[in-house]
Parts: sequence; C-alpha cells; structure tokens
Amino acid sequence: MTFPRMLPPMEGVADPRTLIPARTSSRRAQAALEQGIKAFFGGNALVAVIVLALITIFLFREGFGFFGQNLANLRLYRQAGLEYVDIIRGVSAKHEALSRSLSEIRLREVRTMEKRNAPVEEINAALAPFDQFATAFSDTAENLHGIVSDLTDQASALKEALFARAELLAQRNQLEHSAAQAAAAKIIVPEVDRTAALASLREGSANFESVSAEMTAQLYSLLAQAPPLPDPAAQKAFEQWKTRTREYLAGLPAASEKLRTWSPDAPIPWYRSISSFLFGREWVTASFWQDWYGIIPLLVGSILVSIVALIIAVPLGVASAVYVSEIASSHEKRLIKPYIEFISAIPSVVLGFFGIAVVGQAVRTASQSSFFKWVSFFPISERLNIFTAGCLLALMAVPTIFTLSEDALRNVPRGFKEASYALGANRLQTIGRVLVPASLSGIVSAVLLGLGRVIGETMVVLLCAGNRIAIPDFTQGLGSIFQPVHTMTGIIAQEMGEVVRGSTHYRALFMVGLVLFTITLGINYLAQKFVTRYRMSIG
Amino acid sequence: MIAIASNSRRVRRIEGVIFWLLRLATYFILACATYIFLDIGIKGSRTVFTSTPPFINLPFLTEPPQTLYVFAYEGKKMTLSDRQFRQWKVEHAGTEVEASSIAYSAGGIWPCIVGTALLVIGSMALALGIGISSAIYLSEYSRNGRLIRLVRIAILNLAGVPSIVFGLFGFGLFVIFFGWNVSLIAGWFTLGLMVLPAIITASEESLRAVPQGLREGSLALGASKWQTIRKNVLPYAMPGILTSSILGIARVAGETAPIMFTAAYAMKDEMPWQVAHWTDFFFQGVMALPYHIYVVSSKIPQNEYTERVQYGSAFVFLFLVMLIALTSIVLRERSRSRLSW
Amino acid sequence: MVSVAEMPEITSPIIVNQPEPIPKSEIERGMIEIEQLDFKYGAHQVLHDVTLSIPARAVTAFIGPSGCGKTTLLRCLNRMNDLIDSAHITRGSIRIEGIDINAPGVDVVDLRRRVGMVFQKSNPFPKSIFDNVAYGLRIAGVTKRTLIDEAVEKSLRSSALWEEVKDRLHVSGYGLSGGQQQRLCIARALAVEPEIVLMDEPCSALDPIATAKVEELIRQLKEQYTIVIVTHNMQQAGRCSDHTAFFYLGRLIEFDGTAKIFSNPAQRQTEEYITGRFG
Repeated sequence: MTFPRMLPPMEGVADPRTLIPARTSSRRAQAALEQGIKAFFGGNALVAVIVLALITIFLFREGFGFFGQNLANLRLYRQAGLEYVDIIRGVSAKHEALSRSLSEIRLREVRTMEKRNAPVEEINAALAPFDQFATAFSDTAENLHGIVSDLTDQASALKEALFARAELLAQRNQLEHSAAQAAAAKIIVPEVDRTAALASLREGSANFESVSAEMTAQLYSLLAQAPPLPDPAAQKAFEQWKTRTREYLAGLPAASEKLRTWSPDAPIPWYRSISSFLFGREWVTASFWQDWYGIIPLLVGSILVSIVALIIAVPLGVASAVYVSEIASSHEKRLIKPYIEFISAIPSVVLGFFGIAVVGQAVRTASQSSFFKWVSFFPISERLNIFTAGCLLALMAVPTIFTLSEDALRNVPRGFKEASYALGANRLQTIGRVLVPASLSGIVSAVLLGLGRVIGETMVVLLCAGNRIAIPDFTQGLGSIFQPVHTMTGIIAQEMGEVVRGSTHYRALFMVGLVLFTITLGINYLAQKFVTRYRMSIG
Repeated sequence: MIAIASNSRRVRRIEGVIFWLLRLATYFILACATYIFLDIGIKGSRTVFTSTPPFINLPFLTEPPQTLYVFAYEGKKMTLSDRQFRQWKVEHAGTEVEASSIAYSAGGIWPCIVGTALLVIGSMALALGIGISSAIYLSEYSRNGRLIRLVRIAILNLAGVPSIVFGLFGFGLFVIFFGWNVSLIAGWFTLGLMVLPAIITASEESLRAVPQGLREGSLALGASKWQTIRKNVLPYAMPGILTSSILGIARVAGETAPIMFTAAYAMKDEMPWQVAHWTDFFFQGVMALPYHIYVVSSKIPQNEYTERVQYGSAFVFLFLVMLIALTSIVLRERSRSRLSW
Repeated sequence: MVSVAEMPEITSPIIVNQPEPIPKSEIERGMIEIEQLDFKYGAHQVLHDVTLSIPARAVTAFIGPSGCGKTTLLRCLNRMNDLIDSAHITRGSIRIEGIDINAPGVDVVDLRRRVGMVFQKSNPFPKSIFDNVAYGLRIAGVTKRTLIDEAVEKSLRSSALWEEVKDRLHVSGYGLSGGQQQRLCIARALAVEPEIVLMDEPCSALDPIATAKVEELIRQLKEQYTIVIVTHNMQQAGRCSDHTAFFYLGRLIEFDGTAKIFSNPAQRQTEEYITGRFG
C-alpha cells in the first residue's frame, strides 16, 4: 500500500524520510482500522432505517390481526342474533330519546318561569298536565323494554356459548396441528343448538308486532290530547317533538319488516371488518353485549382538538415570528427567542396537570360569568373539553411554529428586503408584500410540523380533553368545541395498559397507532415538500 | 407631494397599529408561559420549601410516596401519612376512628426522581452513542447513494413520529416480543430510539457547520480520514453536538407516553438498587416523575390534601427539566457568539 | 504510529550532506506526467484528453477562463477529487515519479503528504499558529517535541512568516491577516516536507502587498519543490512561473515556457485570452 519512493534523496533537499518515515506495515493495519471505523459508523446509521422498519413491522404485526378478529367478532354478532335484538333495541332507544327530549322541554319551560320569579309550587302546578303526558308517554314503551331485556339475555347466552365453543375448537385445532391427538381428543367441544336458540329468539320477538301496534295506537291518542305549554319557545319545541314522534311511529313498520327479513346466516363480507373500523362511529370496548371498534369518534376528537390548537397557535406563532425577526430590537430578540424556545421544553404532562388544575376551571368559571351571558352555549358543563385541551396544545405548538417561521423569515435574502426599501416601501409593506410571501412555504411547513406535534401529543389530551368517547354534537355549532372528546393518542395511553395481549381490543389499539403513524408521516412528508419549495423560492 | 405626505401619515399610523398587535401577540405568549411558571412555582414551592431551616422540605424529596389518612380526632382534623397513621394507631390502641385515605398524597417523590434519572442516563447513553456515530457516518463517510437517501428520509420521518407510537412500538417489540416486560431496559431502548433522530439531525448539523476547508486542509497534509475527523472536525463540532444533546435530555426526561407501558410503575416499594440479583436491575420497572404526575393528577381527586403532592411533583419536575433546557440554551447562545467561521 | 526510537536523528534541519550522483534516469523527483486524461463530474465531462508533463523543481502555472478545468486538474494531482461524489477519471493516467497515483495499491494518505496543497481560501485550523504547522507532523506520528519545534520554525521561515509570528506562536491562527493566514497555510503544507506543492489561486483573496509576498515566496520555494499554481491573474503567471499551461473548455490548448506563451503563443485562442479578448 505504500507509495513507493523511487529515487534517492537529492542534494540540497531535505529528505522527507528524515522526519516522517514512509508508511510501513503498521500503517496497513491502520488502513484496516479506518475501514473498520467506517463500517462501525455506517452500521449505526443503518439503525435509523432498521428502527423505522421495525416500528412499521411491529405496528402491522400486532395490528393486522385485528381485521380477522374483528370480522369474527362481527360474524358472531350476527350469528348469535345480537344484531336481531339490536333492531328492536333501536326502536326502544329511540323511544327513550324522545322521552328525554320531553324532559329537556320541561327544563326549558321551568327556566323561563324561574326568570319571571315564579315560585316552585306555581311552576309545578302549571306543568302538571305536561308531566302527566310525559309519564304516559314513557309508560307506553313498557312492553317494548320487556321484550328487549328478555331477548338480550337470550342472545347473550347464545353468544357466550358460541364464543366458548369457538375457543375450544381453536384449542383443539392447535393441539391437532402439534400432533397431540390424544390431548386434542380430550377436549370436548359442546354442540350449541343455534337453531333452537335463534328460534326462541324469534318467538320472543313475535309479539313485537303486536306490541308496536298497541304502542302506536296509544301514542296517537296521547298526541291528540297533548297539553299546551305557556312559553311560546317551549311550545315550538314541543311541536317539533310531536312531528318527530309521528315520524318515529311511521318508521315502526320498517323495523318489523327488517326483523322479518333478517337472517342469522347472511354472510358478512370481509371488507366490513375494515370499513367498520375506518368508518365506525362507535368505540365500545369491554362491553357485555357487543364491542365496536370504530375509529371515527377518536379521529374526530383528535382533529377537533388540533384545529382548535392551530386556530390559536398559528396567529400567535406567526405574529411573534414576524415581530421578532423584523420589528423587535436586538435586546428584545435576545430575550424573546430563547424564552419561546424554553416554552417548548415544558413537559407535556406538566401542561396537562396545569390544564386540570387551572385552565379547565378557569374556562368554566369564565363561561359562567355574566360577561358571556350572550353566548348561547354558555355556561358549559364540562371543565375538561376540546377547548381546554386545544388551548394547552396551542402553547405546545407555538414554539415549533415560531422557531421555524422565524428561521424562514430570517433566511429570506437580504436583497429582497433592500430592493423593497429602495422602492420606497415602508417596513409594513416590505413585510406584507415581500418577506411573508417569500417565506410563505416555509411558514406553511412550520404550521404543518406544529400540527404534527399537536396531533401526536398524548398527555395533554389524555388529561384535559375530557375522555368521553363520542362524536361531539355538531348541532350546537361553536358550542361543540366545549364538549369532551377522546383522541387517538389518548385512547392508546388509557387502554393499552389494561387490555389482554392478543385480544381484538389490543390489536385495535395497534391499528389506531398505525393510523396515527400514517397521519403523522403524511404531515411530515407535506412539510418537507413545502420546505423544498421554500428553498426554491428564496433561491 | 402633499398628497403623498398625508397618505404616508395614514400609512404610518396603520403600520404602528399593526406593529403593536404583533408585539401584543408576542408578549401574550410570554405572559401565558410566565403564568404557568409562576403558578406552579409558587404553589409548588409551598411544598418544596419550608419557612424554617433548612428551608427545603427534605422529607418530600427523600421519601417514597405514601397514602394519606385524614380523620377527625378529639375535634381536631388529623392528616397522617401511612406510616404515621400506623404508629398513631398503636399509640391510641382502642380508639376507633373513621379515616378517609387518599393515595399518594403523603410522603415524597424520591423513587420517582431516582427512576427518572436512571431512565435518562441509560437512554441518553444509548442515543448519544448511536446518534453521534450515525451522524459522523452520514456527514463524513457517506456518499449520496440510494441507501443514504433512505436513511435520511427515515430519520426525518422518525423525528415526526408521535411519542405514543414509540411507546406502542416499544411495548410490542421490547416488552412483549423480547419478553423484557415492563422494565428499565425496555424504557431505555424506547426513549433512546425516540430521541435518536433529533440527536442524529443536530449532530450532523454541527458536523456540517465545520467548514469543508478544514477537512481538505487536513487531508492534504496526509492525514487519514479518521485522523481528520478526530482531530480536525469532531473537536469543533462537539460543543454543538453536546448542546443539542442536552435538549435531548430535556425531551427524554419530559416524556410520559413512551414509558407508560414500557418502564413506569405507578407505585413500587423497593428502590431500584434493592434487587436480588444484579441482572434484575435492568429488568425491573421503576417509578418516574412524569408518570407520577400523570397518576396524581388524574387518578386522585383535586382537593386541599392532594394539591401538596400534585404541585410539589410538578414543581420539582418542571424545575429539573427547565434547568436542563436552560443549560442547553445558554450554552448554545454562548457558543454561537464564540464560534463563527 | 511510529515510535521515537525508529526516528532517524538529524543534526541539520535542511541539508543532508550526501552528495550522490543524480542518476540520469528519465524519472526525476517531483515530476508529474499526465497522459490523455478524461475527467467527469457525473455525466458532465470537465477534462478532455489532457496530456502534460510538469517539470520538477519549477513553477508551472495553469491559466484559463473560469470553468476550464484547471482547478479540477490540480485536485486530481493529489486525488482531492476523491472527496467529491460522482467525480472520477474516466480515461488516462497521472504518474508522479513514474507511479500511477490512481493505481489500486496506492496509499492516498501517503500521496497527499507528498503532494501538498494550498487552497484558494486560506483555511488555517482553529488552533494556534504552532499547532497549525505541527498538525501534519503529529498526524504522521512524529511525537518528539524538539523535532516538531525545529520543523515548525523551519517551515515558518521558508514561508517568510517566522519573523512576523515568532513571538506569538501560541495564539490562534485566526488572528493573522489574510496574507499571513495564507502563508501560514503554505508553512503548514511545507512542514510535512512534500515534494510537490499545489496552489489553487493562493492569492485570489489577498491584497497586492500580501500577493507580492506570496509570489516572492513561490519563487524561492521552487528551488526545492515542484510547484503547480492555478491562477486567474495573468500577470501573476507571468511573474512567478517558469512554464504555463493554457486550458480552455477542459482541453489543454498550449503548454510551453512562460516567456514563450506570453510573448509568442502558438495558438490563436491562447493569444486572445492573454491579450484579454475573452475570459
């Protein structure tokens, strides 16, 4: 490996050998060492790829079993007749919902009367006919509820039996595969008489039609003699209620029809398992009846919280970036920049705690104050809600947005700015027409990265978003952001510790993680796209 | 000319108003943050500091968490920790009291501090070792091949992956697949891998900030690659690398989601060094400050008895993390002004 | 790593008095032969069929308009282009003292020690002046303090910097003026006792006085070293080089004695360039 020396030293010239010997074999070892060092560093760099691959593999490995298990879960739901019972349950649940609306109407009536300072006795007296009507209304469903609760027990029992049988079958199969025939034979798989059970289910519901007919008749006569209400607004709501009730009654025959055509053996296509996850509007776990794994409520929760956070954080972050990079004195700059970066180091769990201890209460108190009387959805009932979590997440997103936007603004070539000033533009015009447009894609990328941080944040939403697994009631308009939700990150953190390994629920949580992973990768990808565009725009 | 002048006065007024709005937004952010620091600082210092010497509430910092018992006795309201309550019962044998118990609200947070320190040390050692090595490879050795592009994309994307996903991954791989259970070592790997992309990116940036001329100059003198890196690149990149690693420490110490189901226990009676065999040390779960804060702020009610431990833990934790972050920021500001090529 | 014991003792730092007859071989110490060299950056060919013999112990200047490939050729001579991705020689060879420097067995580290380089932008290390000069020696495994001291002084003297810095050897090299920094870089290159010194526009960032000093230095150094200098500055080439090679669009247009090139070039392009009609 030595670079050979061809000639003896010449007169008048120092021979390099006098000082530094030519490379010898020990140097060959050194060259090998160099290769080794390079390989070592290279190996470490590969770790990043391996980790990314492992993360993906493990999320998939643990998550993909979900679809098979969920499909079995959905099939069992149909085979055991749970679906059948749920048709009737739906009818009875709607009845209950109507009953609840009646009490809401009553509450509204009471409030208006209280405003007139009417004594309690007077209110009660005035509402006596209405109360009577409400009681009569809820009594009409008595028989219906009876049917539902009977059938629920039957279907549950059938489901249990079918489930236990499937477990035993799986156990036996496994033993047979591992050639333990004797042990396999020992497992007695009980036969479950599904047809008989389902027949009794149908029998029990046979009188649904008569019950519903009877209820229809009762309700129509009740509606005819509905008492009037003194408050016009309440009366209007009551009228709307009546229309809804009539619609409900008109829908009853359709339910009977559904029950008649229902078949326990109708096949459930494989894609239902995926669509019920991606588009399912219910996330119900550890339920005695039927588990549903629909990501929509969680996704909506995550998105709403992020939107609120961004609505607060983007103006603040960008405004402060503009301020610091263009307007602030160098004194201010030296203080503000590190301080905002400092904020990003606040641990999220501390922010979450602060949300519980201070912000939530403050938001509720504010909503109760007379200053906000004009807001229709105030006062709010839950102190931990989308808004509370959004406020705190905004504080987490601000440093990200600020730092990156400020970088983008600062890196706009000075020539752009000088050219603008040279044309007689003032500072505001230069900022608004030259600097911000030139760094816009940089700012967009900053906002996207802020979004990525917010949507992936766990502790703040777990502690402050209220953790109610439900899609907010959007009919309340802006008020819906004061409702509690659960989020994708929150549900993983909350439920992962308690699930049985390998169960459908466990795998469902990994699927949620996978969705979250995909979303953040997408956001990251977009942000990088915008960064590239920013680099091009500033040349 | 006059028209332009009057117009410019109006424009200047608008400019002034908008600048004030921007200033307001900036100071609003600072005010919010300051409020948080003050709220936790003031309420927390009631727990952590005392009015009598030694002015620091040593029991809070040096004792494990205990259950708090509250009861009325002879017209007085008694609040005793688990240990005190047992002693009290011995002393007042025969008196029946109806005590309500509140978990975690007495004692201190010593095991949590220890656990967090262990988690941070292990995971940072891991992340720094792999991270700096990878950065050296990427910045000094690699050529822009397809594999290197893949590595870079992987790192960029890993940096944006939510910590809870790292938690899930750690749970799936280390806790279940490797069978390490909830353990210190599973937490190390999870946290270490989580912070790795940030360390690699920051280190690579520091390395790239060293001018190419220094490398060429060194190589042209007959230095080998590794000699060049060791003597003429790393020494100048090291301050930058270390500063950003300190920020990594703040992040590792502050995260809760990744350790929730890989390393943290809500309650553990033994200290980490009280293990039967030395290998058990790595395979034990620990208490950790962030997880403790999560537990005490969500699993127990908010009232006058719990505020002490809630604010106290939050204060200590915030103080430690902020101290680390502050060190990093100060160091960086200082090195920024010193080293310019 | 070389232990001190292996190191031959020397009494005089410069002259080893060993009058031996120079063999009349065609290979001379420090000579460079470039043959039919093609060089590409990716798909873009920057050198076309360059054949050139650079004589030993003389100053050879590479001139030509920007982007003509002269710096690339210079960086080929100590394989500095290895550092650039996608840059490679596609044809031809470079032989230094008869050895093909791109042959697989060649130790590039050893090559670079023997072919020193001074860069366009002076790049002293952020170390003290002394450590800058001593860097190459320490890298090569020289540990003996006295040896290093001597070599540093000798190099600083050769680069005419000694008188200016001898009292502040241990302050940062960054504290020097631009011209001093460049001469420090030259001293640093000389300290490892190369046979060839490559200079890539060493004066482009210097003021006229500093330039004059560096040029004077170059004239002195050619007594001991083969010097190849890339320059944009025609006068500079005229002042301090013995031979001049003119490049245009990646081709060697003309190579001859400097006096000949400047007074009576054979090629029309050379003449046009020298008289300032383009470039």
